[in-house]
Amino acid sequence: MDAAEVEFLAEKELVTIIPNFSLDKIYLIGGDLGPFNPGLPVDVPLWLAINLKQRQKCRVVPPEWMDVEKLEKMRDHERKEETFTPVPSPHYMELTKLLLNHASDNIPKADAIRTLIKDLWDTRMAKLRVSADSFVRQQEAHAKLDNLTLMEVNSSGAFLTQALNHMYKLRTNLQPSESAHSQDF
Amino acid sequence: MPATQKPMRYGHTEGHTDVCFDDSGSCIVTCGSDGDVRIWEDLDDDDPKSINVGEKAYSCALKNGKLVTAVSNNTVQVHTFPDGVPDGILTRFTTNANHVVFSPDGANVAAGSSDFLIKIVEVMDNSQQKTFRGHDAPVLSLSFDPQNIFLASASCDGSVRVWHISDQTCAMSWPLLQKCSDVVNAKSICRLAWQPKNGKLLAVPVEKSVKLYRRETWNNAFDLSDSFISQTLNIVTWSSCGQYLAAGSINGSIIVWNVETKECMERVKHEKGYSICGLAWHPTCSRICYTDGEGNLGLLENVCGSNEKMSNSKVPSRVEKDYNDLFDGDDASNGGDFLHDNALEIPAFSKGLMHDDEDDDGLMLASGRPRQRSHILEDDENPVDVSMLKTDLLREEEDDPATNTHSLPLAKSQRPLYDGPMPTPRQKAFQSSSTPVHLTHRFMVWNSIGIIRCYNDEQDNAIDVEFHDTSIHHATHLSNTLNYTVATLSHEAILLACQSTDELPSKLHCLHFSSWDSSKEWLVDMPQDEDIEAICLGQGWAAAATSALLLRLFSIGGVQKEVFCLPGPVVSMAGHGEQLLIVYHRGTGFDGDQCLGVQLLELGQKKKQILHGDPLPLTRKSYLTWVGFSAEGTPCYVDSEGCVRMLNRGLGNTWTPICNTREHCKGKSDHYWVVGIHENPQQLRCIPCKGSRFPPTLPRPAVAILSFKLPYCQIATEKGQMEEQFWRSVIFHNYLDYLAKNGYEYEESTKNQAIKEQQELLMKMLALSCKLEREFRCVELADLMTQNAVNLAIKYASRSRKLILAQKLSELAAEKAAELAATQTEEEEEEEDFRKKLNAGRTAAEWSQPRPRGQAEEDAEDGQEADDSEDRPALHKHGQNSSQSTNSSDMPAVKSGAVTSSSQGRVNPFKVLVNSKEPAVSVNSARSANILDSMNKSSRKSTSLNRAANTEKSTVIKPLIPKPKSKQASATSYFQKRTSQTDKTEQVKEENPENTSSETPALCPQNSDNQRPKTGFQMWLEENRSSILSENPDFSDEADIIKEGMIRFRVLSPEERKAWTNKAKGETASDGAEAKKRKHVDESVETEEQKEAAKENLRLPKKTKASGLSTNQKLAAFAFNQE
Repeated sequence: MDAAEVEFLAEKELVTIIPNFSLDKIYLIGGDLGPFNPGLPVDVPLWLAINLKQRQKCRVVPPEWMDVEKLEKMRDHERKEETFTPVPSPHYMELTKLLLNHASDNIPKADAIRTLIKDLWDTRMAKLRVSADSFVRQQEAHAKLDNLTLMEVNSSGAFLTQALNHMYKLRTNLQPSESAHSQDF
Repeated sequence: MPATQKPMRYGHTEGHTDVCFDDSGSCIVTCGSDGDVRIWEDLDDDDPKSINVGEKAYSCALKNGKLVTAVSNNTVQVHTFPDGVPDGILTRFTTNANHVVFSPDGANVAAGSSDFLIKIVEVMDNSQQKTFRGHDAPVLSLSFDPQNIFLASASCDGSVRVWHISDQTCAMSWPLLQKCSDVVNAKSICRLAWQPKNGKLLAVPVEKSVKLYRRETWNNAFDLSDSFISQTLNIVTWSSCGQYLAAGSINGSIIVWNVETKECMERVKHEKGYSICGLAWHPTCSRICYTDGEGNLGLLENVCGSNEKMSNSKVPSRVEKDYNDLFDGDDASNGGDFLHDNALEIPAFSKGLMHDDEDDDGLMLASGRPRQRSHILEDDENPVDVSMLKTDLLREEEDDPATNTHSLPLAKSQRPLYDGPMPTPRQKAFQSSSTPVHLTHRFMVWNSIGIIRCYNDEQDNAIDVEFHDTSIHHATHLSNTLNYTVATLSHEAILLACQSTDELPSKLHCLHFSSWDSSKEWLVDMPQDEDIEAICLGQGWAAAATSALLLRLFSIGGVQKEVFCLPGPVVSMAGHGEQLLIVYHRGTGFDGDQCLGVQLLELGQKKKQILHGDPLPLTRKSYLTWVGFSAEGTPCYVDSEGCVRMLNRGLGNTWTPICNTREHCKGKSDHYWVVGIHENPQQLRCIPCKGSRFPPTLPRPAVAILSFKLPYCQIATEKGQMEEQFWRSVIFHNYLDYLAKNGYEYEESTKNQAIKEQQELLMKMLALSCKLEREFRCVELADLMTQNAVNLAIKYASRSRKLILAQKLSELAAEKAAELAATQTEEEEEEEDFRKKLNAGRTAAEWSQPRPRGQAEEDAEDGQEADDSEDRPALHKHGQNSSQSTNSSDMPAVKSGAVTSSSQGRVNPFKVLVNSKEPAVSVNSARSANILDSMNKSSRKSTSLNRAANTEKSTVIKPLIPKPKSKQASATSYFQKRTSQTDKTEQVKEENPENTSSETPALCPQNSDNQRPKTGFQMWLEENRSSILSENPDFSDEADIIKEGMIRFRVLSPEERKAWTNKAKGETASDGAEAKKRKHVDESVETEEQKEAAKENLRLPKKTKASGLSTNQKLAAFAFNQE
């Protein structure tokens, strides 16, 4: 899976918008949406929210966790803990990116939030690298990682498994050459 | 009642603090070691006003707008209050002063310093100083004798002294305290106090008790102590009435005694046990403010709640304070801004003053100047005059102290002291959903159309208009040069109004954006001295209520229309469609209540007043905060206690509480700011405000939705819940009746939904009561049901083997049927009458709006009906017997009427509209003029559909806000309706396959139809239809069923067949129409099997008629089945 696919999945997340138009319920395969009343908050999938926002048909209400204070707390917690801490949303990175790109005018302190989310992401990625490193060094057979989001898993998952494959090959190649060597004697 | 202790809050940085109230008690003033004096509106005030007075403030005193502080640069300073402008230095010492106090009249200030000296300085003239020498250590505290003869002081040398002010000699000295070298080493700061008013007693905190010394004799009258006190007392204070004494200790306990009874009233412990170093009674209320040695501020409420005097005076001042918070946060001390007339202000404050300036007051009365009191009150700005005056008085007093002391009690006993209920200050006019005017960024209005915001800061004075639905209009930005303060918004226009200024009159400004010409705005000036106080917009009109008690109506294009007088000063107004709701002051409320009246007018073609200035019910001690209409047009309002009430048009225009927003609040100081009410779906749209009554403009608040809940009893039980749901459903669908009555367009399906929901709830309640063996209650419930549901109820009752109940219910059903029939005939007659009066241009369609037939009981009392109901069966009989139907012409009319009224047909999705119009047309074409009525009825929908294009449309009827959506919906509902009607007719047809249609008179003589159900086979078929159906579920056609039935019937033994035939013959009494109805009923009876099915059946066509006979038959069938 690549990042675009993960983002596609993230677009199913519900966000609250305040529409500025009036529309009855719409019936979609994924479920019913609406009714849309001007001025009244309604939950819609992210893809629709962004679409409406681009057409200036709505205002986006930032998710509850998208708040500088809460994110600061979360970031500090993340930095303090050895392991991964629970994240505000399973698609926090994608949500932040999409919302900040398309609806930054509806999100107070958008820049600060962008930085905080980036910090959080960086911290987590660093942890992931460290744990992958120790995993490889100690030649463990398995490891358990909690509270990882799909995007994070994807960022290193493909590479790591392939790398492990290569290493395995190298190691197995090493072994027979040794034995061959010993056989020479 | 124990005192309520509010949680402590941060007041100053750690260190010594002092606290006092201002004269009216509306502010708390504290000083602390950070050198600031803070003015708190309330304990919850998060933004107290700070005045920096120096590096460290040791003590503060406040009177007559003068704030005196003892600060660390060894001076005693004066600041104005509440502005905090430095007003000079009163006196200096060689070290800092420890305590400053005002004399009771406010003319002098006494200060005690660490340089062992005490000074009394005149506030107005600081050259007039008196110095008291005698203490051998720093002076701890001081207290003025209320009669201004003595001054008491406590010092670190261990002595408490009383001084003659006039000659600065020591009158008495007691060695009461522990000696120490400095204030910081003193165990107690020993804040002593004279009893207010007469100064009979001097209270001194000594160790763990309070010693009270009698005046003049200076002997120890008694001691007050309590086992609760575990540490040395720091401070004592008297309540302003002199009845109570509060003391605070160094470990944080606060004790209050009733001095007369020496009884301990309150024992409160500081939450952290810090030393209490400031303690002040509210001048009028029973609350105590205290500060501790760590800079925190606390408040005790309801101290000694039993005190009548206090509780009396507590109410107005508290209410007043609340209002101040709400309307004029900044001017808490200046109550006059809130009030309309100053006359009201006096009683609100006088109490406090009486306590405060008791002595002074008496003097004024004695000197024949009683009016002075109110003068003092209003003079926050120019205290100079007052103090001058007071100084004069003081001099008089000093001239003759002896006479004064004698005349004082006399004056007091003579003063007419009003102890009754206190008038409430009237609340100011407001616009619904607006935030206070004094805010720099505020909402002028937030309603279902949009938001108007007003920015009024240094760089910009502007108004922003934003529409929720951008298809109405785009957002606009206006410059606010005229300083508009009130605004409102509708889908047609923006209306703004401003107050008059010195040069400019009050103006009404309308931005009529929906106008089709090029000039989109108009401006009207009010006459001189007339200010617009409230405005509102309706459909095609605007209204403005002015200070001249006039209501001015304008057309939306700017034509001046009616002007009429308001019965009282306006509070708020709201408009919706043709309706105008005005709330005004009917009179003066007492004890915190407002006395409001409400007028509801309809400004349509036929102007009329619905509510003629009726009293507006409010929660006790609350005021109005929101008034408006639900989106469907029902008047609603909200009071400050969060109670939402709605007009119940179904119950003689009474008000019903529909929601209490406070129940949804998490915190005590949280509120919901209502922005709109919707009846369908039931939504209360509001903005949650944390810790305030209204939201800030930024960050942009989000709307939340609350549900409604009627305050019914025992809501936890199933019964209570269902009752609440039922009545809520009834109340929230009253608007449909209203719309129908006033010729508005509405969705038929909504009404059907509502009726279905209500009937379902009734059925459930009936089932519940049945289960609980409450048969009488069952009948009561059945009384609320529609005919159809009653039949189901009978069925349910007989199923659950409650024969008496079934009997009663069938009686009820018969009664209902009779009533219904009567109403119908009457209706028809009425309609005829109406039509006679009609203008040629008006179609009959408008008159045959559907009525709530479900509630047949509504006009039961008419005597005419009884006659009619008797007439009817006779008619029927006639029609039955005479095979030619000359006068049976009104039979089909009735039938089709019934069809129309059966608001929900059994919808067969497979039936197409092919011959939908056929039966109706065929009926009507063959009939006399009378029947044309029914045609109109059935075709009325199409008229209403095309109404937009219909040039003949009645002017009475104005469609609601033209939403394309609703049009569509109504169109669909129309089609559904039509189908159902068709199906119904077709169904009837199918039941009589031999006669193609009972309603086609050409083919079918009435009696042949009537004959039908009397055959034994027919009866047998009715009994066994369900079994046939269950065995052959694929039988959709009536003919198939009958065929199968025939086969089975033939299989029966001859005896059985005979029995059926006999049974059928036994019922010859039943006339054709009834039999036919019965057939319907029976059919429905048969097709449903269980209780669940009962609910299903509610959706079946509403039988508008049923007879007792059919029930009897059913009972017979039941008995038969039992065998």
